[in-house]
Order: sequence, then structure tokens, then C-alpha cells
Amino acid sequence: MDLTQEFVADGLRRAHYITNERVETAVFLALALEKPLLIEGPAGAGKTEVAKVVAELLNTELIRLQCYEGLDEARALYEWNYQKQLLRLQADEHQGLRWEELSDHLFSREYLLERPLLRAISAPRKVVLLIDEIDKADEEFEAFLLELLSDFQVSVPELGTVRAHERPAVVLTSNRARELSDALRRRCLHLFIDFPGIEQERRIIELKVPGLDQRLASAAARMVNAMRKLDLRKPPSIAETLDWARALVRLGIKELDTPSIRATLGVLLKHEDDRVRVEGKVAGLATRPR
Amino acid sequence: MIALRDAILELIADLRGAEVRISVAESLDAMRAVAAIGIERGPLREALAAALIKEEADRAIFDETFSRRFGSSRPDYSDSHRSRGERAGLHGASGGPSESPMPDAPRAQPDEEAPVGLAPPRKPSSPERDVPERITPNEEPAPKDRRDGSASDTRDESSPNDDSDSAADEGQAGSAEESSAAGGEATAGEVDSPGIEAGRAAALRTIERTPFANYSDIEFVAARDALAALKRRFRIRVSRRMRLAGSGRIDFRRTIRASLQHGGALGDLRFRSRRPRHLDLLILADISGSVKYASTLMLEIVAGAASCFRRVRSFVYIDRLAEAGFEEGHLAMTPPLDLYARSDFGSVLKELWNRHAALISRATVIVIMGDGRNNRRPARADLLRELARLSRAVLWLIPEPQARWNTGDSAIRQYARECSALIPCENLRELERALIRVT
Repeated sequence: MDLTQEFVADGLRRAHYITNERVETAVFLALALEKPLLIEGPAGAGKTEVAKVVAELLNTELIRLQCYEGLDEARALYEWNYQKQLLRLQADEHQGLRWEELSDHLFSREYLLERPLLRAISAPRKVVLLIDEIDKADEEFEAFLLELLSDFQVSVPELGTVRAHERPAVVLTSNRARELSDALRRRCLHLFIDFPGIEQERRIIELKVPGLDQRLASAAARMVNAMRKLDLRKPPSIAETLDWARALVRLGIKELDTPSIRATLGVLLKHEDDRVRVEGKVAGLATRPR
Repeated sequence: MIALRDAILELIADLRGAEVRISVAESLDAMRAVAAIGIERGPLREALAAALIKEEADRAIFDETFSRRFGSSRPDYSDSHRSRGERAGLHGASGGPSESPMPDAPRAQPDEEAPVGLAPPRKPSSPERDVPERITPNEEPAPKDRRDGSASDTRDESSPNDDSDSAADEGQAGSAEESSAAGGEATAGEVDSPGIEAGRAAALRTIERTPFANYSDIEFVAARDALAALKRRFRIRVSRRMRLAGSGRIDFRRTIRASLQHGGALGDLRFRSRRPRHLDLLILADISGSVKYASTLMLEIVAGAASCFRRVRSFVYIDRLAEAGFEEGHLAMTPPLDLYARSDFGSVLKELWNRHAALISRATVIVIMGDGRNNRRPARADLLRELARLSRAVLWLIPEPQARWNTGDSAIRQYARECSALIPCENLRELERALIRVT
């Protein structure tokens, strides 16, 4: 496989990921330089999708680590299978084995439960490792990731250092719920994925909801874009725009007027105060000059 | 290539000069990225940005600096929304100067001694096509992408932030349809903004770094507009620290009980849950002219996270105390204070001690925002000592520049002895950090 920027761009297009030069360049560089790619942006802008598309592009496995508060090494890297070790210990009890023989036995890979990070590192071929929503993990875990992201190796005291045979393509995503450390940022290439513009979103709608009239798709994209500018508690994401487009098709709506928008607003907005705020402005948004 | 290397180093120096933090490792990454991507302006810009810019808020500075160094105009966001293949199709049809990437564009070789700006030969569709996209530091801005002088070109030149979707959109849609009908996905010049969230991030960064001392009502309004993100961040941070932790010490009784299922083997460890932390906040904020902006913003941030604490009591003061709250986003005080009175923190402490001492317990953190300027009236630091003795901690946040502490009528030195910490917070960013220390 000859890794070129054109290959990446075509791959993204084949995977129906409508994108721009910024994303293509960042993805290409992350693969070419074997650097982790940190993707930031609002929720629902398509950050996680990039990792999935890269896995599709490389025709390889996607290993996902979903971060959350309290995530620790045991859940992310490895854990000894304690129960299995105990069973083995009980089974060996009467055989008179020396401690050295026993410990060699008990602390072998057979009793190791590999978690996503170790799985990605010890995979025999290149895989894509998605560390999703890193901002949700604690700062301690972020610090723990630094060794892995710079050297692609981890230390298991009983087994020694495990080095990656093939460096995984690492994608980290963040919704910026908290500031990530400079140390982590330094180790990654950075990409900010914002909500798409009107035209790009129209093309996404047309691609994913082919049943929707082109004019209606344009109007929907314009409407959603205007809503995002209202500084809502939770602006509509791309997925919600697509849900809305599907709802419009399903309801047989041909024209995006005030009553039809009001009737379907629940598909786009998930907070009551956002809904109240937008409802007051729907008429203005719907009749906006084109 | 040496000239290009120098140009990139100068770009990095310029960015550092503009307070963008770039490490040596990132500079090396930038060089590797250029070696991998080639020297076409569009991809080069994005490659350098990916390697050097780690905060979207710095992107505007990067774009401006890149344009200055490499003579390119601002990135064409309208064009950037098309995929590479689409752009290639579009440009192939137009024949004008463009940022069209050539499929056969060679990669820059680190050891190559070619002079900067030798772009690969392009399709000979027009004489100037070979020229404009090569990288030549300090050259004049390159002309923008054009589609045979169509109306949409002029829109590209206008602000990409323009959200007044004017009549040109109709033409846009029309040409998009035509392009689609012609078999390509290419669309005419879009007018999409460079990004709603990116714009917000940039605005937040600017206002976060503006010193309170430079605030006027205009900056204050901008700060309040940008406060939503900051309030959300603070609330999340505080709630994480105050929430129940996943597990605490091992619970032997439950572990042994669970082990009975496995024949007595301690295979399933059980843990006690940790107790939530209880913290009461008592805020004293000076709203006299010199520090009113910092105080109001602090009160608003804390009000947004009030539910994370067990109890929050907020007071504002000038020469006496008044209870503070937010009604429809505006600071309300009961009773109203004379905003033209002269600051007297000594009397405020006396009033607090006489009337509200019962609010303070060992779970209370007292946060004071003020410059400690007392108009040479008695400081009453003895009362602050008593309050500190009753409480868990007393934190004093000072919005004044550090050089001005202990000058003139400032009594901060006397108060500092009784405080657990004296924290400078000259701008919103420092204020956020200071407030996190409260927990």
C-alpha cells in the first residue's frame, strides 16, 4: 500500500466521509509520521468517525478505548486474571512445585487479560487505536498515556517491556470538557473539526438521506447552521441534522415553514431551554432571506 | 530546501513571538511534516498547522503569520469544504490559478538543495498555472481560486464569516446542481464560515488573556459572552473533584462474604465507597470601581457551579456587606450598596464577624476577591485571623498586577499573614485556575 495524500483523500471519500483539506492533511501526516492525532471539536462534529474511517481506509481493526472518569491502567492496559490464577494455584497445590516454577506459570500471558491499549500494542499488524473522549479521563490517566504515545511501549513488571511490532495509528478525541496537558498535546498532531458549513452539511444530508428534496436539504442545512449560531446549551450535531432530515422525509414535509419546524424541533434540540429559545426565533430563521 | 527550512524556522519564531507555545519537538515534527507533504501551499499550510498549532484559538494567528511569511492570502474556507478529488475536478474545468493539488506532486526531500519555491510542473492549461502555488517566502498574496469570473468569486473574497446568506446562495445552489448534473460533485464558491466553534474558541482565548486592569464595559460584555464555556468547564472540574470516588478502602466484611461463593478464595475484592466531600463556600467580593469586573465575573462563575458545593454564600462589599445573587444574569445585592463609597474592608470584616460568623465552620472555604486597598482605614487583620481559625481555608484572589501589591493604601501585606494563600488573578484564565484551587 503506497501511502499518499491522494490515497487518504480517496479513502475518506470512498468511506463517504465528506471532508476538507485540513482533515485529509492531518490524517495523512498522522499515518505518514506515525504520530498520534488529537482531534478536538464540538460533540457530534464527526471526530470519532475519523478513526472508523481510517480503520476502513487501512482495512484493519479498530480498537476503541472509551474514556471515563476513574478509568485506570487495569481497565485500559492489562489486568491479571486473578480468579484463573487462584484456580491454577489450587490445582497445583499438591504437586509440590517450587515458587519459581509456580510464578513463571502464573505470571505468563495465559493469565493476562489484555485491555485495549495492550491489545493495540501487541497486535501483529497495524491497527487503529481510538482513545475516545480523553478529556473525560482523569489527569493521572492522561499522564500515564504519555509513555505509550511517545514510545509505543508499556512496561508490565512481571513480563518486561512490551513494544509495538507495528505502531498503531492512534486517534484521540476530546470535547474540551477540560483542558488537556501541554505534554499530551506536544506528542500529537492536532486537528480541530468544527461543525460543517451550510454547503458541506447540505452535501452530507444529500449523501446520507437521499430521499430528501435538494431544496429542502439546503433549507435544513441553513436552518441548522443558524441554530448553531444561537449559542445553545447543546447545538444540533450532524447526526441530529440527519435524524431531522429523515424525520422530514418520513413526515412527507415538502416545505420548511414555521409549523413544520416547530413540530420537529425535538429531533434537533434536546434541552427544553434550547427549544424555548429557538421556538421564539423560528419564524425569523425560517423566513431568512436566501 | 535550506531556504524553506529557514522560512519555517522564521515562521516558528514569529509564532512564538505571538505567544504561541511551540516546543523543539514540535518544530522537528513540522520539518518532518513538510518533508512528507511537499511544498504546495495549501497542504503545506495545513501540515504546519497540524504540527505546530495545538489550540484552535491560535489558528488565526498561525494563518496570519503563514500568509505574511509565505505570501498566501487567508485559507479559502469555501474551497476547503470540498474534498480533494472534487477540487481537482473543479480546477481542471476552470483552468485558472488554483491550489489544486497535483496527483503527481513530488514530496520534498529533506536533503534536496533545490531553491525554495520550485513547484512541480503543472498541467499546461494556462501560462500562469505553473507559477502561483509555489512557495516563495514573502511573496505577494496569491490570487484566490476563481471560476471564470463568476459571481461567486467575489463572495469568496468577502468575509467567510458572512452569515447573511444572500442571493448568491441561490446561484450557488444552482451551480452546484449543474455541477452534479454534469457528473461531478463540485460546487461553486461556498460561503461557509470557517467555523462557529472555532470562532468562539478564538474569542474566548482573547478575552481570557485580557487583564482585568484593561477592562472597560466593552471587554466586560465580551467576557460575559465568553463565560458560558468557562462556567461549563469549571462546573465539570469542580463536580469531578467533589463527587463520590469509584472506590475507597477494601471492605473486608463484604470481601469475605463474597469469597464464600468461591470456596473461601479471595477472588473478588470489594471496596468501600468513598464519602463525598462536603465543602461550603463563603465569597467576599469587592465591587468598588477598581475590581468590580473581576468580582462580578467570579461571582457568576461560582454561581454556575453552586450545586457542586454543599452551601455557597456570596457577599459583595465596598464599605459594608451585602448579600449577592444573580437574577436573570445580573448581579443583585441586598441591601443595595453605595457604589461611590470608599472601600473599607476593616468594617466589612467587623460586620461579617458580628452578623455572619455562624456561617463559618471547618468545612468552609472563604474566598476573598479584592485589592486590599483600605483607604488607610484600620485593616482589622485580627478579625481575619479569627475567621481563618474557624474555617478550613482563606484564599485571597488579587486582580491587581503583582507590581502594585503593597503600594499606596494597600493593606494586603497585613491580610496576607492571615490567609492560606494569596493568589494572583489578573485575567479570566488566572481566575479560573484560582477558583479550581478552592476545591
